[in-house]
Amino acid sequence: MTVHNIYIFDRMGTLLYYQDWNRLKNSGMTKEEEAKLMYGMLFSLKSFVNKISPTDPKEGFLYYKTSKYTLHFLETPSGLKFVLNTDNHSQGVRDFLQQIYKEIFVEYVVKNPLCNLNEPIQSELFKTKLDAYVKQSSVFLTKSM
Amino acid sequence: MSRSTRFDTKKVNSELVTLTYGTLVAQMVKDLENPDDVSKQLDRIGYNMGIRLIEDYLSKTGSGRCLDLKDTADKIQTAFRMYLGVQPNVVNWSPAGDEFSFSLDSNPLTELVELPDDLKQLKYCNIICGAIRGALEMVQLDVQSWVVQDQLKGDPNTEIRVKFIRRLEDAMPAGED
Amino acid sequence: MEDTLLDLLHSEIINYTLQNGDEKDKKEEDLSGLEYIGFSTGYRIIERLTKEMPRFKDELDTMKFICTDFWLAVYKKQIDNLRTNHQGVYVLQDNAFRFLSRLSSGKQYLEAAPRYVAFTCGVIRGSLANLSIQCLVTAEVQSLPSCKFHIQVQRM
Repeated sequence: MTVHNIYIFDRMGTLLYYQDWNRLKNSGMTKEEEAKLMYGMLFSLKSFVNKISPTDPKEGFLYYKTSKYTLHFLETPSGLKFVLNTDNHSQGVRDFLQQIYKEIFVEYVVKNPLCNLNEPIQSELFKTKLDAYVKQSSVFLTKSM
Repeated sequence: MSRSTRFDTKKVNSELVTLTYGTLVAQMVKDLENPDDVSKQLDRIGYNMGIRLIEDYLSKTGSGRCLDLKDTADKIQTAFRMYLGVQPNVVNWSPAGDEFSFSLDSNPLTELVELPDDLKQLKYCNIICGAIRGALEMVQLDVQSWVVQDQLKGDPNTEIRVKFIRRLEDAMPAGED
Repeated sequence: MEDTLLDLLHSEIINYTLQNGDEKDKKEEDLSGLEYIGFSTGYRIIERLTKEMPRFKDELDTMKFICTDFWLAVYKKQIDNLRTNHQGVYVLQDNAFRFLSRLSSGKQYLEAAPRYVAFTCGVIRGSLANLSIQCLVTAEVQSLPSCKFHIQVQRM
């Protein structure tokens, strides 16, 4: 199983962080364009999914799946959006995103007073920690297929 | 190396926060002279802490969005317990249900503190009001918060009022409306 | 109370003391206000910590206490290395100093490091002052999150 890439947006739609690991094909757009489209898509999907929900939606949009990959979505009540693209075999990815939020984002961005919360993340320590965290995860490790 | 210490680290940490805060306030009183300016600064400092503290809270509790103001009050009550180690009561709801108070029997922030008479108008606990306001703004709730009663001024307990103003809207993606 | 509170309060004290220093064109930031808040805090916290303890044998004994029990209580770990020339100079090395540990691992943000150690220089100076040791304390950071605190005892 494989992790392809991660996007982290703040509640205003600013791309705080992007990283890819196993991404063989690019979208042909600049990172900025891609992020803008990604955020717009999430925004529309989220509101439409809630709109047509037959009962009151609790969490709303959680993921979508294509024949090649799954996009997992976690939005915190504070409006931070974590997006992780994986292959279709990965499990427990939402929990994993919650862990990234708690163990990496809060520890190395929120608790780093030199990181502004609404600006792209510059901290090398955060990058290192996130990279290591993703690589040691079960989502990443068991890519034996 | 041994990891144990002869001290109760929880207690030390709590006293350290109390003392550090006390020293900061004393310094501000010296710098700014006007107690109202100090109160304003304390509220601002609380706000800055609140906007970060909320992420710590949300990530640790895994809690979802608030259903209503009552739910909000319960969650802040939990936050008091988590961060200050005290459990306030939620009291004095307004008839319209848009205002309520936290009432604290004991306030760790004011332990070891005495206010001299010429500083009676200082709102020593404004940092808590600021933190509540900052934290709630991050979850799209615009509120006002202020100190109603203060044990430092001889009141039987400390009462912090919270008034709901409005729900803030999600930001639209750029270029859409 | 939660550890996070002190971390957040500490950064706010830094912001407050720096913004109040209104001397932006100076190259060296004036950290004396920050150090002084640390001093007062250290002076008072050590009072509470040591009030029921027997007196320390000597200066070295006091320093050992600062490196172990005191550091563990306040900074969540012990000092990794204590050196002295036995003539009043002590060097306390913390390889993962609490207020630097989330900033960086290496040279990034090195220029900001002095702000994050000044309060603690004051805490050490205040604590020792309360234990009747007058000293100067400076800090040296070459690579985060490691920090060396240099203590120079002022002989009367």
